[in-house]
Amino acid sequence: MSPGGIVVVAEQEKGELADITLEMLACGRETADRTGWPLTCLLLTDRAAPFKALPLAADRLVIVEDPSLGAFNPEVHARVLAHHLKAMAPALVLLGNTATGMDLAGPLSLLLGGMAVSGCVRVAVEGDAVVATSRLYGGKLLAQTSVPAALALVLLMPGSYPRQKGMRDRAPKVEVQGGAGLAGPLRVRPKGIIEPKAEDVDLRKVPVLVAAGRGVQTKDNLRMIEDLARTLGGAVCATRPVVDQGWLPRSRQVGRSGVTVKPRLYLALGISGAPEHVEGMKDSDLVVAVNTDASAPIFDVAHYGATVDLLDLIPVLTEKLKAAKGGK
Amino acid sequence: MKAAVILRQVPDVVEELVIAEDGRSLSEDDVMYITNELDEHALEQALLLKARHTGTVTAIGLGGDAARDALATSVAKGADEAVFVPIDFAARGDNCVLSAHLAAALKAGGYDVVLTGVYATDQLDAGLGGLLAARLGIPYVGGLSGVQLDAGGRKAVVHKEYPGGRLGVMEVDLPAVLGIQSAEQPPRYVPVSKVMQARRTLRVKELKGPLPQVAGVTVRKLLKPESSAHAKMLEGDEDAVAGQIVNLVKERGLL
Repeated sequence: MSPGGIVVVAEQEKGELADITLEMLACGRETADRTGWPLTCLLLTDRAAPFKALPLAADRLVIVEDPSLGAFNPEVHARVLAHHLKAMAPALVLLGNTATGMDLAGPLSLLLGGMAVSGCVRVAVEGDAVVATSRLYGGKLLAQTSVPAALALVLLMPGSYPRQKGMRDRAPKVEVQGGAGLAGPLRVRPKGIIEPKAEDVDLRKVPVLVAAGRGVQTKDNLRMIEDLARTLGGAVCATRPVVDQGWLPRSRQVGRSGVTVKPRLYLALGISGAPEHVEGMKDSDLVVAVNTDASAPIFDVAHYGATVDLLDLIPVLTEKLKAAKGGK
Repeated sequence: MKAAVILRQVPDVVEELVIAEDGRSLSEDDVMYITNELDEHALEQALLLKARHTGTVTAIGLGGDAARDALATSVAKGADEAVFVPIDFAARGDNCVLSAHLAAALKAGGYDVVLTGVYATDQLDAGLGGLLAARLGIPYVGGLSGVQLDAGGRKAVVHKEYPGGRLGVMEVDLPAVLGIQSAEQPPRYVPVSKVMQARRTLRVKELKGPLPQVAGVTVRKLLKPESSAHAKMLEGDEDAVAGQIVNLVKERGLL
């Protein structure tokens, strides 16, 4: 491989590429076209067959196939990736800023001697540096950073690049390799996956979602939010902190580790708009946000916003909606 | 069981974040600190483990003086030992420096588990947990919402969160570093009086010594996000705003 290449570390699940893989390929393609560097997609799996003919926007697809690469194991994946990345010596490695990518960044950066940058939404190459723009402080600020373009590990935030640009009209050259670099005892052993319980409501199928954030303050206040949701013929969902408090079941959580929703109306109440929540709701048809903090990042995602106190607003809004329904 | 928890002081994002004159850091005088929220979850998880097994929890507070308050709170909640690690303002969010600074002390402490939040709000690098584990040569798994230890204390069974509410179950040999996403129950509340009491009797060890010179991510500049789109703001009091939302809902045929 010529120096200065770009490698996308793919994420897959049961024979299907994760969206973040196509987004990383879109980012990698853009950077490759600007620099003239080759773009390789590196995929670890226990079954290469489903991936061999995909029209990915990479110049080369390297599939590492081994029975031990079925379930994600941070130790095994870091070892195998380090082995291959060392040999490829790319300038830039793209990882997902995800449950798996975040596990790999620390070990890989020490094993490879490259610097890792997380939370990235834009990536560029300037001379011998990778210049990235990252979300910081819950999305309230952006940081422009630079790290040496020598095995630089960039963790890309989901939703930062259009996934359709991760594909093109032809399949890349494909190489399938065995699981080299696997030797040694394992200290982490995956034991299976617990699937979420099919619970009360499937948020993905509800046309109107009323979402509660930290600004709802108490569990009692959820009652009037539930009343509002009922009036709108919708359901209540929430951000992670609200669910972590035990105020609503995990099935109601929207965001990175919860559900991704695209309702016709998303009414965000007392939600600041942290990137991990926005990831799960930004494609909603209409987003109306209410937050007393006018600088809350949610207003960059919402179509309409208001800074009134939500505890004052909700009863009035519910009454007006009931009246409007009655008068139809 | 011997557990260590790392508690980082991070800028409170509810407050206004003022960019300093250099354009690439926060104005130190304007920063209000809180303990990184996920580190609070790591402490809660450690205290839950302590309740289930006999053992000790060492709280390690990183940052400026605010870290001492966090340590008093930790002891009031049930931590057995408090270690203060003073960190210069410029290095507080730099996990490359922090991991290099802490590695020797953590090794010497002989902990079975080191728990920390899976990420911090001021983080731009690979993250503290993974870097620490790599330096210590022990396993790391992050994004956890549950940790159980076996009776012999030789391994942990952890629940790792994946998108869509799926949980990966993994067995991890100890010692290990674990990155906590959320504790099995919300961080416990402790009354102010107990914190005051803990503060009076608090015996804090201090990890002294200069910070190591380790390359980290270079920040060129900080900027406020200029979004391509910003919400159209609905003006007026709650009555006026409610009226406008009702109209939007009607226009979309959602009523």
